[in-house]
Amino acid sequence: MRRMSMFPGSDPSNLAFTEDAIRHEMENEEQNLVKKLVALSTRERIRDIRDLPMSCEEKKHIRSQVLAFKSAKQSRQFTCFTDCSENVSLFFRRCGYSIRSVRQTLELWQGIMKEIGGKFGTSVLSYFLFLKWLLMFNIFSFLVNFGFITIPLLVYDPLPSIPPNVSFRGLEILTGAGYFNYTVMYYGSYSNETLVGLVEYNMQLAYFFTIAVYMVLCGIALILSMASSFKTNYVLAAPASSGAWQLLCSWDFNITNERAVRQRKNNLRVQLKESLSEKAQRELLTLSEKLKHFGVYLGCWLLSTGLAVGCGASIYYLCQYEQQRAGDAAGRSLLREAETLLVPFVVSLMNLVVPLFYSLFYKFEHYSSQRRQIYALVVRNVLLRMSILAVLCYYWMNVVARTYSCWESVVGQALYRLVIFDFLFLMLGSFFGEFLSKVIGTTLLPSLGVPEFDIARNVLELIYAQTLAWIGIYFSPLLPAIQIVKFFILFYLKKVSLTQNCQPPRRTGRAAQMQTTFIALLFFPFFVGALSMVAYTAWRLTPSEQCGPFRGLNNTFSVVGVWMDDLEEIPGSQWVVWIYQNVIRSEIFYFLITLIILVIIYMFWQVTKGRKELICLLKQQIVNEGKDKSFLLDKLQNLQKSQPNKPKLKNQKRHTGRRSGTSALIQAMLARQQAQNEYDDGY
Amino acid sequence: MGTTASQLGKDLLSEYQELTFLTKQEILLAHKRFTELLTKDEKDLPNARVPMERILTLQELKSNPFRKRICNVFSTSEQKDGSLTFEDFLDLLSAFSDSATLEIKSHYAFRIFDFDDDGTLDCGDLEKLVNCLTGETDDTRLTAEEMRQLINNILEESDIDKDGTVNLSEFQHVISRSPDFVSSFKIVL
Repeated sequence: MRRMSMFPGSDPSNLAFTEDAIRHEMENEEQNLVKKLVALSTRERIRDIRDLPMSCEEKKHIRSQVLAFKSAKQSRQFTCFTDCSENVSLFFRRCGYSIRSVRQTLELWQGIMKEIGGKFGTSVLSYFLFLKWLLMFNIFSFLVNFGFITIPLLVYDPLPSIPPNVSFRGLEILTGAGYFNYTVMYYGSYSNETLVGLVEYNMQLAYFFTIAVYMVLCGIALILSMASSFKTNYVLAAPASSGAWQLLCSWDFNITNERAVRQRKNNLRVQLKESLSEKAQRELLTLSEKLKHFGVYLGCWLLSTGLAVGCGASIYYLCQYEQQRAGDAAGRSLLREAETLLVPFVVSLMNLVVPLFYSLFYKFEHYSSQRRQIYALVVRNVLLRMSILAVLCYYWMNVVARTYSCWESVVGQALYRLVIFDFLFLMLGSFFGEFLSKVIGTTLLPSLGVPEFDIARNVLELIYAQTLAWIGIYFSPLLPAIQIVKFFILFYLKKVSLTQNCQPPRRTGRAAQMQTTFIALLFFPFFVGALSMVAYTAWRLTPSEQCGPFRGLNNTFSVVGVWMDDLEEIPGSQWVVWIYQNVIRSEIFYFLITLIILVIIYMFWQVTKGRKELICLLKQQIVNEGKDKSFLLDKLQNLQKSQPNKPKLKNQKRHTGRRSGTSALIQAMLARQQAQNEYDDGY
Repeated sequence: MGTTASQLGKDLLSEYQELTFLTKQEILLAHKRFTELLTKDEKDLPNARVPMERILTLQELKSNPFRKRICNVFSTSEQKDGSLTFEDFLDLLSAFSDSATLEIKSHYAFRIFDFDDDGTLDCGDLEKLVNCLTGETDDTRLTAEEMRQLINNILEESDIDKDGTVNLSEFQHVISRSPDFVSSFKIVL
């Protein structure tokens, strides 16, 4: 429908009637277009005109025609209302444009992003976009927490009550203990009172609802972005086609750097050749080779899973050992405080070293495609991190929660240390991982070459860092602030490390799908894990009795029950209580909801199945149409050959071919005309 | 349009905003970059055309293997010399911008890849396309046998109606199934 294309210089004057017919047809098409556009609302019209694949000049032409048509129409039936609504819509449109341009001006790091895209291509750029996205997430969570929890407390009671013998010694920046323990950094310093200022502000409710709403919003944002990228990247994408086209379409127009262009051309050539040879030698594996490969896979998977489990177990024993030491040596010496750094140090070291070990595996494994290799690597790393985090959470909830008097703050400190150490090791990692391997690659062992930027590993590090922040949100509401600083520095660090040390990745393609996988990973084990950890803490564990907003309650969630009891006494709020009693607390409600959702899912599933069948049928139909077309063309040509006095068909066919994008109608018309001529000539 | 090249009128600006996918800043930036390409005399002319050689000195296009095709496709010049007016330049940036639709992008990609401008991608076009992407020199080019096999693969993958060429709708079908295309078909000033 909107396939009108422009034909620069389409005036070889061979057959006058054809020209006329075509011109006539084009004018007709334009008139139809204008009529269709006139019927639309202003907003839709603008969008449709913008979507026309024409040059600016032609769009202007169409637009002026539409407007002329419109005004002619309007002058006949002019009303104040249409005029008004027109003006209002114009105003909103202008507003929309200005909002768009303001948003663009505020866009962070535009220049840097462009530079990275220009030198390293879209796939590396996607890492930085992901980093920026996470940074925005953290800024949002910081604003929410700071605004609804910390500011009210600070307004009410600006000075934290610090005991006189505690002072700031510097080590706190690493350990998060000591001085920080008495500031608003951790759960323990928040009061459980109702702050009475201009309005009454119930801290307990504020704390509970801020965290709950934040978690829900995070979940929704993740699900939405995951779903939309699934839609564009998986559903539409060809199912595992080896894809010569994938490669041809993957040319990155972003790249502006001469050297990068040359490198990319080389890589593309290698990939094209590989895709050819891959297709040729796919079925050549013998049974024994297959068995051998299978054995190697099994061994690698067993080894990597064993390593992950081993890491988890050793972390658990380390935590226990640390607690024993803490029980032996009471007192607040500097050394004692420094000892608490052991666990985060070991955890971060494992996170740095074990993945390097994993990446050695692919010297032995021979995966048929690069993608499967990356996925295997990702799954192993996820297993490792999940097992470490699971052990830590188990330890915090089962051991720490029973032993310490203000255990939430202790957990908050532990998380703070993990976040800080993770940051230090990220810096070390990009120094040793990228800088050193560049030095080795360029001076000592030139065969290794300059390292590539490993997107999968780096993204997993980001995901892990974000998970720590999510778990910590309940125990240390201001942890997002640390996270913001961390990501901000990390962005520049990675950028420098990338431009100084790395070369663009050799393999391209499927970057968008990798991106989807990463968002899905961020959601599925990591966010869901953090959410369940926080939810478990709020529902099951008894809050500490000496400190924090929930002191004296059986569990955090019962704050809602207390609130409901209060509300019952206030007239006019019975409906809230009713909702709480009959909806939130009733199993039947959840049962029904689940049932309805299951039914809806089933229905959608069936619809999808039906659509798939329809797609198959339509494909078959296209093939048939194609056969028809070629058959008719053959006929036409045969007819032509039998009539040597019409030499211009070839020429004309070429001429019409130019228009095949325009409309099949013209082609059909021409063919008919031609056939008519033949027929006439025949007589 | 009686505007001088040095400044864009407010009405013109909002018209461009309506007709292209660009924001106000992008249009102004494009205008700035475009006027830098003009010579002194051309600056006073309305609708000045910048010849292709000078357009290709732009950093963003300089090393693009399709640079000449891009200019040719977006040029509205009668002589087909690839020279661009400011509006052509805006069209170019609009098609390559972030917010352009997949349909627009695939349409222009098709025309860029259609080297002989005949409305379909036939074997010759595909060969040129592959050569463009792998490099033109003899040592970087694929061998004839490889090329034949590759083009066979391409046609097998995308030529739905089996007529030996890839037409626009077949091409758009292919594009809609390669998710990386939208993010990589992008030029930002």
